[in-house]
Amino acid sequence: MTGWIEALGHFLGRSAETTGYGLVLLCRTILNLPHLFTRRRMRDCLNLIFTYTLGSFTVTAVVALFTGMILALNGGDSLASLGQENLIGRIVAISMIREMGPFMTALILTASLGSGIAAEIGTMKVSEEIDALEIMSISPVKFLVLPRLIALTLVTPVMTIFAAFIGILGASIVAANNFGVTWIAFSNDALENLQLGDVQIGLIKSVVFGITIATVGSTQGLLTRGGATGVGEAARRAVVITFLLVIILGYYLSWWYLS
Amino acid sequence: MIQLENVTKVLSGRTILSNLSVTIEEGETLVLLGRSGTGKSVTLRHIVGLMQPDSGRVEVLGKSLTETSADQLAAVRSQVGYLFQDGALLNWLSIAENVALPLLETHHLAKSEVDQRVKNALREVELDHHGDKLPGEISGGMRKRAGLARALVSQPKIVLHDEPTSGLDPISSSIINKLVNRLKSTGITQVMVTHDMNSAFEVADRIALLHDGQIHALENVDDFRDSADPAVRQFLEGQISGPLSRGLLDGSSNDDDRNEVS
Repeated sequence: MTGWIEALGHFLGRSAETTGYGLVLLCRTILNLPHLFTRRRMRDCLNLIFTYTLGSFTVTAVVALFTGMILALNGGDSLASLGQENLIGRIVAISMIREMGPFMTALILTASLGSGIAAEIGTMKVSEEIDALEIMSISPVKFLVLPRLIALTLVTPVMTIFAAFIGILGASIVAANNFGVTWIAFSNDALENLQLGDVQIGLIKSVVFGITIATVGSTQGLLTRGGATGVGEAARRAVVITFLLVIILGYYLSWWYLS
Repeated sequence: MIQLENVTKVLSGRTILSNLSVTIEEGETLVLLGRSGTGKSVTLRHIVGLMQPDSGRVEVLGKSLTETSADQLAAVRSQVGYLFQDGALLNWLSIAENVALPLLETHHLAKSEVDQRVKNALREVELDHHGDKLPGEISGGMRKRAGLARALVSQPKIVLHDEPTSGLDPISSSIINKLVNRLKSTGITQVMVTHDMNSAFEVADRIALLHDGQIHALENVDDFRDSADPAVRQFLEGQISGPLSRGLLDGSSNDDDRNEVS
């Protein structure tokens, strides 16, 4: 019994410590924002944007296409039983832009990029590269975290828009083939019912998710200990923690928007 | 030049350094010896401010690192080069870019000046034809030499070496020793942690043996080699039983300690 309570205490203590570290890291990164406007940091940032976009492009496209098709298939089936299959466009467009696009993109980027950031920085930590930077008076926050945070904050909304577009495209194919809804009818229904607020909340969510992915990945990377096992553990923790935060933050942002 | 006074450090409940005191004079090369886990690397980390002592005082180049601001610490660090065990090079940068890194990020020199200094540093460690390669494309010995070039490019007054010859073949070790001796001849103060006795005898002015968190013996090379101290004899002769076999200070060890102590 005592051991169980002790373990719980350790877990809570460590979680609080990690959360505090992550928040301080985020604040320090924001304070270092002026350093972004140097040629070297800008170049690092552009390289990362290119790498991140290229690295997640295919998987995002495939997942978004099939998510849109699944949404249309299930939504269309229910609507067809009521003779309302013409409404597929608005349902798919609103859910892809407001909810599914940001959420799905965030999960893909967490798995592919967030874990990668944790593993990359974690490997640098255990191989003493972070110590080497500090000895050279190069801030790891400025040199490593800042470009990653900015790159992900920019890439996530772009990939979200791309995912929403591909998802809607996939849904329109299913709507036409399975339910006889023409492309014109589908897009008219989608555009007429989509509001600017839906796009805004989708973009706000994607920016928040991008910041979350980069911060959690960097935090876990910088807190890595224990060699190769520690690096693997850091990547795993980054994915799990970001998934949880994306779900929780997503809910509260939706609640805020709807209320 | 470097002074540690009654430095005590406890990591994960284990006392690593216990009232350790040592002074390293300008231009001197001091070699730190000791069994694994006796705090040799921890001592180096204190000298460069990567670790702060729980008690005691560390003074480098006349500045106390225990009561210093971030700016003062950066000023001290700009005069200290540190060679890590595996070079600690950034794997996405070429060797030349790695060497140029401290100059580009903190010194704000003209590009021509940076290029010239990088060229000189690479020539110094005989890597002038490998500047375009990535760290993954060169051998372990070359990576260590590249790490040394990076440590030297800022023209430091102090160079700290953490096991510079570990894992190297005898020829590569000799190249590193030759480089350390060349630095010595230029008057640079050096502290080297090593398990390589040949290397220690080849480069040291004085040799210190760490045991029980303190400097157990500190002598010049000849006196150390001929020392009658049982701990020194055990270390030099690699005997299994003796004063050094009593284990580390508080006994137990864990994963965190292994990360932090060597």
